[in-house]
Amino acid sequence: MMILVIGGSGSGKSSYAEGLAVSLAESGNIKKYYLATMQVCDAEGRQKVERHRKLRSGKGFFTIEQPTEIHHSLEKMEQGERVVLLECISNLTANEMFSEGETKPEMQVVENVIRGIESLKRQVTHFIVVSNNVFEDGVIYDATTREYIHAIGKINQRLAALADQVVEVVVGIPVVI
Amino acid sequence: MKLVIGGNAQGKLNYVLSKYHLQEEMVWDGVLPDHTVLQQRETMIMNHFHLWIRNCISNGGCPEDEILSLLDCHDNLIIISDEIGNGIVPLEPFEREYRERVGRILVRLAERAEEVERVICGIAQKIK
Repeated sequence: MMILVIGGSGSGKSSYAEGLAVSLAESGNIKKYYLATMQVCDAEGRQKVERHRKLRSGKGFFTIEQPTEIHHSLEKMEQGERVVLLECISNLTANEMFSEGETKPEMQVVENVIRGIESLKRQVTHFIVVSNNVFEDGVIYDATTREYIHAIGKINQRLAALADQVVEVVVGIPVVI
Repeated sequence: MKLVIGGNAQGKLNYVLSKYHLQEEMVWDGVLPDHTVLQQRETMIMNHFHLWIRNCISNGGCPEDEILSLLDCHDNLIIISDEIGNGIVPLEPFEREYRERVGRILVRLAERAEEVERVICGIAQKIK
């Protein structure tokens, strides 16, 4: 089963997604993997990662750092049944789009991310993908940021089509859409 | 306590006023309602809750402690807040902090609220 969890900043989407992964792994001896995508480059980033680690601690996740080419995370997992939580699409998209000092075209980024997700979906028991609602602040950004927002919008639509269920988390409350 | 959230300009206040048959004089706009007034009235509305959080942080206060201790004494409050987290991560550190704290405070208020409604185009969806 694949579930897409979407929400804004501070919406409680991570906490909800973790709870979901834990409950999906409860039936049987299923390994839980957390795919972390954030590239830490400053103190604020370290704090964010630390907060998320605390949130996850004691829940039995095995963390795999995979900031780009998300399908390579499969090589780092054991065989057998597994629940995978990928967090999050906005970081993954930024890493794929703005690496090595250049900006990759939107379509190429969308295809790369979706291909990776499709191969994960095929090879894991349950797959939870966390994505972000970055679309409603009413700000008109520069061309590059617009392209980034557009890429996430397209990826979200493709993920929703691939997923069995899409859940929007609003003030910590899951709303199935 | 009831929580009403939604985007900017979605008709949240009008919705609350008409649903509960309340007058504008019951509205505290961007400020915490007064203890003594809350003791006398059945229900008060706190509008633009997100702006109160913003001012509170700017003035070095702790909005989490202030609102939770108010709610410990008075539960007869309808809190209206914009949802501000659905956008690109702001460049300014203060804006990032403000956005994240509003989100997390709303999650905590939603946990203790007896009812949570989300207003879009003037229409309320009850999500709790």
